Amino acid sequence: MMTKQFNINELQLKYLELETLLDITNELSSFDNVSVLLQEILIKSCAVLNASSGMILMQNENSDLFQIEAEFNIDVEALKGVVFNKKRGFFNEIYQQRKALHVQTVNDPFLTKTKCTYALIAPLLDKKELAGVIVLFDKESRFGISPFDESDTNMLSAIATQSGVAYNNIKLIENIKEAKTFNDNVMQSIVTGVFTTNLMGEINHVNRAAASIINLEREEVIGNHYEYVFESNEIINELISKCEIALETISESQIQIICNGKSTSVNISVSPLLNDQNEPIGSVVAMEDLSNLDKLKSTFKKYVSKQIVDQLLENDDMLNLGGQEQEATILFSDIRGFTSMSETMAPNEVVETLNEYFNLMIEIIFKYNGTLDKIIGDALMVIYGAPNSTDKDTENAVLTAIEMQEKLIEFNQQRIIYSKLPVTIGIGINRGKVISGNIGSRQQMNFTVIGDSVNLASRLCSVAKADEIIVSDAVWKQIKTNKVFKNRKLHPVKVKGKAKPIEIKEILYQRPAFNYDLAYTMIEEFLMNRLPKEYTYHTIHHIRDVVEQAERIAKKEKINKEDIADLKLAAWLHDVGYIWEPNRHEARGSEYATTVLNALDFPAQKINRITGMIMATKIPQSPKNILEQIICDADLDYLGREGYEEISLLLLQELRLKKEINETDWLKIQDQFLTKHSYFTKTSITTRNKLKSEVLDNIKSKIKNK
Amino acid sequence: MSGFIKSTKEANQIVIIETDGYLNNEGGEAISAICYEKMSAGQNKFLINMAGTKVVNSIGVSILIEIIEKLQEVDGKIGYFNLAPIVSKTFNIMGLTKYSTVFATEEEAVSGL
Repeated sequence: MMTKQFNINELQLKYLELETLLDITNELSSFDNVSVLLQEILIKSCAVLNASSGMILMQNENSDLFQIEAEFNIDVEALKGVVFNKKRGFFNEIYQQRKALHVQTVNDPFLTKTKCTYALIAPLLDKKELAGVIVLFDKESRFGISPFDESDTNMLSAIATQSGVAYNNIKLIENIKEAKTFNDNVMQSIVTGVFTTNLMGEINHVNRAAASIINLEREEVIGNHYEYVFESNEIINELISKCEIALETISESQIQIICNGKSTSVNISVSPLLNDQNEPIGSVVAMEDLSNLDKLKSTFKKYVSKQIVDQLLENDDMLNLGGQEQEATILFSDIRGFTSMSETMAPNEVVETLNEYFNLMIEIIFKYNGTLDKIIGDALMVIYGAPNSTDKDTENAVLTAIEMQEKLIEFNQQRIIYSKLPVTIGIGINRGKVISGNIGSRQQMNFTVIGDSVNLASRLCSVAKADEIIVSDAVWKQIKTNKVFKNRKLHPVKVKGKAKPIEIKEILYQRPAFNYDLAYTMIEEFLMNRLPKEYTYHTIHHIRDVVEQAERIAKKEKINKEDIADLKLAAWLHDVGYIWEPNRHEARGSEYATTVLNALDFPAQKINRITGMIMATKIPQSPKNILEQIICDADLDYLGREGYEEISLLLLQELRLKKEINETDWLKIQDQFLTKHSYFTKTSITTRNKLKSEVLDNIKSKIKNK
Repeated sequence: MSGFIKSTKEANQIVIIETDGYLNNEGGEAISAICYEKMSAGQNKFLINMAGTKVVNSIGVSILIEIIEKLQEVDGKIGYFNLAPIVSKTFNIMGLTKYSTVFATEEEAVSGL
């Protein structure tokens, strides 16, 4: 049989070398990862130069040492632990010459560790610096291994040169990526919101904090013009626009921005973004979210006044543990009879009452720059003059006490109207030396004052009766020049812990007279909340109407202002009994009025006048004086005015809640009622009788036609 | 079996050799050893599954050529499948594909050899 003989000729090998070099050149630019690039170079080099194995060593960025970054067909275990130092072995020579060299491995301290015999080494240069080496081992032939020849050296040098360029490019890209990632990470991790715009005004970068502040996803922001993103925040657009024109940093503090429904308080700074030629390429906007600071302040403000919060935030030293002796004024207040009062209340009502009371009192304390030291059960301890003192500390403490008592009168008016027990307090104030400081542990510390002066303030509070403000002589001496304050000297008292009786004074304050307007408002609110919702006639609208008509008629009847005030009070209260007992609402309303008006310090001699007016409205009406006549006429004013039909239907609807009333019966009821009814005052007789007669005639006519 | 030869099997009287690694002198000799052994047992059709071989040098190719020459003496054939593009290109440049066949898949190779 004839056989063909095949031989690989030199031309084919050269062709393969050229193709490989071309491949490497073409492919090198497509890699974006150094490790993959090096592995590919090594494999192709080994294949084209018939090397049995190979490796690429690259210099460590931080030392003179080289490490294996790619290996092919090599026993890596044998090289484990070898320190490739560029000052030794083949490195030294290639470092000096910067060109490929042939080595017999037995002569090299590193390569002798391999099981190979020959090595061809070419430098990978980063510009002119040695960045690494490519090492090929043992050129293969069909007859065993041999040294690499000159042609191999040229080929590997060409590959190494190409590879060096590609390596530099990839490193450059990697460095840029790293720098970008680093910048991104820094930007993302900082709590200040930062976004940048380009020359077109489009937002091209936004960090996490900025996205959170403006309450939008980054994807919703990137690529959009800032005027579109901040269309509802003109101030931000103005700042960026100004910066673009002026090319200088522009800042604005504590502005409120509203983005995507979220309102945030921020400090904003806009700076021009410049390239390396100092030309503007956009703007960078930094936004500091103040909400956390606001939250911190808000938390602090539950305990101390705004002034002290601001001082603490500006001066960290104030938070140091430790103490100092200083003068301070201490106020104690305590609810009188709270224990017995709370025994008659449900637990939630006790908590609700205390919270309402404390909210009211603490607002006053902070108004006068007091520091709320403690809430002890129902008692308050307040400091004036520590941590920071002013010459108004004692005056502020006494003003606080007076306003607390005055506010409590209003607070109690509402409670009384709602049939709740009033809250009364006693207050004691002392001034003297105290030890002040942040006392406690690092985990929990409280600013407080301690000392004899504090104890005495507490004792004075115990001495004070309901509604009283008791102060020590030390307090009075500090405020007596201010003529606003009046006092009443009391007998010296013996207090626990003091050998001698203590000189004390009661601070006098004007307890306000019965406030009609406040009473009207509170009764109206009470009625709105408590009148049965199913009623359609005896509603707040009817009561307001009676009040209005009563005042109108009274003015026509030339009634004086004081009497009109009482008349209106009776009008507001005339149907209050419907809340509890509709069938005897006049009597029940009178009982309620008596209790409430007494508790509100309403002149006792006038209470009967009010209840008399309420009772006079009972059908059949029985007024005994002009005021009672007026309230009676006001109560049924609608009988003789436009709109009778609509109002009477509301009454029918309410009556039907109790029993079925047909149309005929309803006409008869109206006929009877209107026939019997008479207005009492000249005003109503003159202005209402005519229309009332027409209404009656109409009803009678309807009955006749039935 | 050397580390380079991953497996050998027979299908349709064809010996299929699966390789793994550098087809150089050592790899080539591992292939030729199996081929010559099977040829002396009467086999004359060989397929090489080169899915695990991504690198080949001219020595490896020259050994394959030696095998082709031997196979011609017994009217035999050799083919390859699952070639990496670079291996396929090298085979073309070295003229190997003029005397042996490259297939895409094993099925195609078994039916087409």
